[in-house]
Amino acid sequence: MRSRIALLLTLMAAAGPAVAATKAPPAKAQPTAAAPKQGNPYRLKAGAEGKLCLDCHADFEQKLAQKSVHTPVRTRDCVGCHNPHASDHGKLLADTGGQICARCHGAMVPASAKSLHAPVSEGKCASCHAAHASNFKNNLLKGGAELCAGCHKKLVDGIAAAKVKHKPVENDCATCHEVHGSTAAPSLLKKDAPDLCVGCHRPDGAIFLKKHMNYPVGKARCTTCHDPHGSNKPGMLYDHVHPPVARGQCAQCHEPPGSPNRFKPKQAGVELCKLCHAPKIGEFTAKARVHRPVLEGDACLTCHGPHASKQAGLPRANLTVVCGECHADTIKRQKLSPAKHEPVGAGECGACHDPHSSDTPLMLTGANRIEMCGKCHDWQRHSSHPIGEKVKDPRNPNRNVDCLSCHRAHGTEYAQMLPFPTTTDLCTKCHESFKR
Amino acid sequence: MSRAIVFQSVLGLAMVFGPAVGAAQAFRHQTTVYSDPKEGQLRRPEGVACGAGGAVVVADTGNARLLLYTYRDGSLSGGTQVKLAQVPYPYRVQLDPKGEVLVLDEKLRKIVRLDAKGAFLGNVDLQGAPAGTLPGAFKVDGAGNLYVLDVLGPRVLVTDPAGKVIRQVELPREGAQFTDVAVDGGGTLYAVDAVGAGIWTADKGATAFKRLTESRKDVMSFPTYLAFHQGKLYVVDQHGGGIAILGSDGSFQGRQLALGWSPGLVYYPAQICFEPDGAVFVADRGNDRIQVFDTGR
Repeated sequence: MRSRIALLLTLMAAAGPAVAATKAPPAKAQPTAAAPKQGNPYRLKAGAEGKLCLDCHADFEQKLAQKSVHTPVRTRDCVGCHNPHASDHGKLLADTGGQICARCHGAMVPASAKSLHAPVSEGKCASCHAAHASNFKNNLLKGGAELCAGCHKKLVDGIAAAKVKHKPVENDCATCHEVHGSTAAPSLLKKDAPDLCVGCHRPDGAIFLKKHMNYPVGKARCTTCHDPHGSNKPGMLYDHVHPPVARGQCAQCHEPPGSPNRFKPKQAGVELCKLCHAPKIGEFTAKARVHRPVLEGDACLTCHGPHASKQAGLPRANLTVVCGECHADTIKRQKLSPAKHEPVGAGECGACHDPHSSDTPLMLTGANRIEMCGKCHDWQRHSSHPIGEKVKDPRNPNRNVDCLSCHRAHGTEYAQMLPFPTTTDLCTKCHESFKR
Repeated sequence: MSRAIVFQSVLGLAMVFGPAVGAAQAFRHQTTVYSDPKEGQLRRPEGVACGAGGAVVVADTGNARLLLYTYRDGSLSGGTQVKLAQVPYPYRVQLDPKGEVLVLDEKLRKIVRLDAKGAFLGNVDLQGAPAGTLPGAFKVDGAGNLYVLDVLGPRVLVTDPAGKVIRQVELPREGAQFTDVAVDGGGTLYAVDAVGAGIWTADKGATAFKRLTESRKDVMSFPTYLAFHQGKLYVVDQHGGGIAILGSDGSFQGRQLALGWSPGLVYYPAQICFEPDGAVFVADRGNDRIQVFDTGR
């Protein structure tokens, strides 16, 4: 066995520098022409590690003048990242982008991260950093929030447009977020809420307590009510606030702040909500099919936040997320489908389904599926396959042909949300005479 | 790997590994019930129950009625309509050993008892049940005892034939949504969690359920009905359009039926029941019909 290994090493050495250079990490101290001949077996000229490169790559003069120059570039150590002869990777890199960076910057990725920035986990360091030089610190491509906006445009635009701004967010996203990965919290936060928030906002302060109606909320999750990125509501509450919260009437639902059970709702489950919303809940329960979360467990709070929300109607999150907690299979189907049904992706499940109750299966908002689809898809009114009450489905005498005779609303693995691979497969299910 | 393969891998793999057992229990389409004897079309039937002597009850939910049939020698006869004010939205049906019909009404959230001909006998009064009990599903055993899934508990209430609670078995409160309960001949209970696609079990005499399977999202999408038959669990995968078959130890044994509109295929199936001769009845809700399959015994 040993002799085989020795033979293998000999063959590798004999294969020459090109192969060796590709496989092995780039040598940091290649012998130069000035060194003794026995220490420079490849007869490299002086500056072969990088200085020589600039003879051809003259544009680097400009880069070297920038404020932040990557150390290997500054020290003219081009072979620190590039293979001078050949490579399996673009730009003659000696390895994939992320791997090259990790040779020196491996510690940037926390070993037991609770959250990792996607470009980091994907090894796409160049999404944020210039490999050679930039005019921003840490070789960043852009400065501050402008860089983050490259991917998080909607969020950054929202921050800029918010009437009530959070000062640290205006300064820099990195005030609260780690940029590579966080071992402490999700969403790359340096600490999870409320620990992060109470670093600046003293929960025992008089103003803090007054703002929270003397409820000791220092250990509560601030982001259930407040938008840390700024909002259009006083107190940086989310844009949609439950009226009792907006009026400071916490005691309408909770025991008084001095009570030992101060955070406990006055009544459990749906009974609490009925105190104000009895007529609405009565409407829900009068229908034949009530969505189970309406009646069970935490009832309304299964889907709604009781204090504030980004969305109208106070759902705890975008409906794709809220509904997806139970209907993950449906959301997954849409994700895998080549054809996307816009309301599903946009979190508008309520466009077709009543999330509270319905008289129809699948909690649809209407009994007539053609009319429902027609709210968005008007083409069926001028040119369409015959559909409607007078058109029987040849496969099933109890069904009329409607949109769902040929499509599945949450998508399929095939084009146009069809349940079959080809149009021919679909059509010949009914038009059997054309089947080959 | 193509997108189609990725997409189908979940259920596809199950089907690949399933046929050894599945083939022996293959559901072969026998007949379909589209309407009552007077040509009144079925509409969104959610329930079907099989009982002694070939009695078959269909919950024709969308028409707010029950249909009473007799299944004998491979054919179905009767189809008497039962329409009662006490049952505006029949959802799940079962037949007890005396041939009485038990109906869970989805709108009233009550279990109603009818005689074999469909005459109203009364609501099942769950005496001794915790306040606020909300029946979401139920089963009957050979002695007429009821096993009621209280979705508010959540728990399973075991009652005597008169509805008096004699035992309650707790289900976990978090991370699951239970949609049905089943019981085997030895008194072991099973419950199905639609959200987690898992099966839970409780031995006879246990006070709480324990997990029988981890999530089986790989073989079922959104299971909503559970039947125990001849040593196997039949799980109606409503959103996945099919029936998953598990051993009593939770092992996956195969899958039957597939999503579609043609006879033999199902679209949001709701309830199944078994006849002694091997016939399987499926309430094919999305297709507005009851389908009968032969398992070839």
